Amino acid sequence: MSDKILMKGNEAIAEAAIRAGCTHFFGYPITPQNELPAYMAEKLPEQGGVFLQAESEVAAINMVYGASAAGARVMTSSSSPGISLKAEGISYIAGAELPCVIVNMVRAGPGLGGIGPSQSDYFQATKGMAHGDFRLAVLAPDSVQEAVDLTRQAFDIADKYRNPVMILGDGVIGQMMEPVEFKEIDSPELPEKDWIVDGAEGRERNIIHSLRLKTEDLTEHNWKLARKYEQMQEDEVRYEEKLMDDAEVAIVAYGTTARVVKTAIKEARAEGIKVGLIRPISLFPFPKKVIKKAAQQVDCFLTVEMSTGQMVEDVRLAVNGERSVAFYGSPGGAVPSPAEILVKLKEVME
Amino acid sequence: MSKVDLKEIAKQEEELTGGHRLCSGCGASIIVRQVMRATEDPVVVGIATGCLEVSTTIYPYTAWKGSFIHNAFENVAATISGAESAFRSLKRQGKLEGDTKFLAIGGDGGTYDIGFQSLSGALERGHDMVYLCYDNGAYMNTGIQRSSATPRNASTSTSPDGEVIPGKQQFKKELTDIVAAHNIPYVAQASPHNFRDLIKKARKAFEVEGPAFLNVLAQCPRGWRHPEGEGLDILRAATDTCFWPLFEVENGEWKLNYIPREKAPITDWLKPQGRFKHLFKDKNKYLIDEIQEHVDQRWETLLHRTGEK
Repeated sequence: MSDKILMKGNEAIAEAAIRAGCTHFFGYPITPQNELPAYMAEKLPEQGGVFLQAESEVAAINMVYGASAAGARVMTSSSSPGISLKAEGISYIAGAELPCVIVNMVRAGPGLGGIGPSQSDYFQATKGMAHGDFRLAVLAPDSVQEAVDLTRQAFDIADKYRNPVMILGDGVIGQMMEPVEFKEIDSPELPEKDWIVDGAEGRERNIIHSLRLKTEDLTEHNWKLARKYEQMQEDEVRYEEKLMDDAEVAIVAYGTTARVVKTAIKEARAEGIKVGLIRPISLFPFPKKVIKKAAQQVDCFLTVEMSTGQMVEDVRLAVNGERSVAFYGSPGGAVPSPAEILVKLKEVME
Repeated sequence: MSKVDLKEIAKQEEELTGGHRLCSGCGASIIVRQVMRATEDPVVVGIATGCLEVSTTIYPYTAWKGSFIHNAFENVAATISGAESAFRSLKRQGKLEGDTKFLAIGGDGGTYDIGFQSLSGALERGHDMVYLCYDNGAYMNTGIQRSSATPRNASTSTSPDGEVIPGKQQFKKELTDIVAAHNIPYVAQASPHNFRDLIKKARKAFEVEGPAFLNVLAQCPRGWRHPEGEGLDILRAATDTCFWPLFEVENGEWKLNYIPREKAPITDWLKPQGRFKHLFKDKNKYLIDEIQEHVDQRWETLLHRTGEK
């Protein structure tokens, strides 16, 4: 018998985090991610961990800063407006080179927007999030199982690079129930956390800070961060290709949208249209090489997003003008239907 | 304060109309309707994100007859500060006439927790506004998460009662006292089961110049786990047990508005609510004693502070 159990995305991510050794969670209520902190509130204390609900997102992310500085595997979760409030803290965490995992179950914005699924935080997640020259590693699951697998990887990437990692989902990924399996995975070799502040007994003191007033220090620090992001480009790119071998058109989509695109492709193939999918799983680092390579093969690209067009800019940068890149968007909190995508696909091919 | 004539007040047109989507038995709408009846001037209403805001303003519909503004969760006091400042400026320039009231409303999450900074700032600056907190003791809009207004040992989705931890670990924040420490003209604690008291307090709050604050206990059948028709009885128990004393602080002078003839045991307040169900297991009885002790101490402090003892 398989070890699969039926779980909601939010709860499955929480369980995966606990199994990945997350001992500290700091949260604040916001729809559609509330099951995640609720699960942590129930389960983390049983494991000897700490669940704490802060008085605001601002407080929660700074608690993450503190716990990470003390060496804990730590997580927080929120949804778009809450992530905006956390942005300052995330910048400080990146500046201080602290590992942590941040879950964003994106809802349609801007402002209060709605609570429907959306991919309108792509820019925010992948282009630095807040002030300063930094990046998050961003992982975008398209199923509850993948959310579970990526949660484990997110903690490892965070520790490897000493950088915050974001899991970018939406209400569909967070609220949907699917069978999941929690596989035992061997930990990759990770650098020793010899930088943490835990009392300095018998060793030189460690200092964790993001303030660097000397120009040469800050310059050096920013180049050091840039090298980490370059290293991520080398080692952390994740993507899925589907039916690309003979494809004449490539659809680029991630997360929830990619699932719908898969259905659209199936229907298109049944009509004899040679179309394939490139699904970025890591949004930063972006799988630009695979898109660049595809540009040598396909006639054109179609990017489908639940936004007015954000990832499409990265697709166009990767294609670099060699092929046309069309866009289809659904920015109001609605998941596009396979039929809509099929209509757009046929229009693009004409 | 001008005379409160309940018969006249009852004839007043509703500012918050029916047809909104608040739950049956919700305390928030009753409180708002009572408070809004306390003034005949036009009122600019701002609401922080929460049940009341979401359920009364589902676009393109609105249950509000007058001017309404929503911004975010943490800033209703700031948003109304801005509106009130603009109004004052326009009035000074002779571009507006007459009296307009400014009412900021938040739940306990938007007032005790995330909105506390903007509330404190608005009170200190001295805007001529009323801040109304409807305190139902948790983040009900997002699925009953604990707040700093959640009573001790209440079970919520982020402070669940379990084998080891019996619900929320902390006592609730005494926000009314903290607001009183801002030395604003008028601060009061009230409950809608005593509508005469609440409407009087709202009248005072609207009539004073400068900031006024009303902290009003609001039942939530979903979060408190009680039948929808029993809310006001439970609120009455909150005041009879002295869990939620009715008092006011007018220009620094503290006054108790209700002293029960015989203080009821705290179980009268705890027992009807499912969120406290676990307290009535044998092993948890000591927790009820601790809550009783806390309520007794708080009541003693208030008796001294108001000169009743």
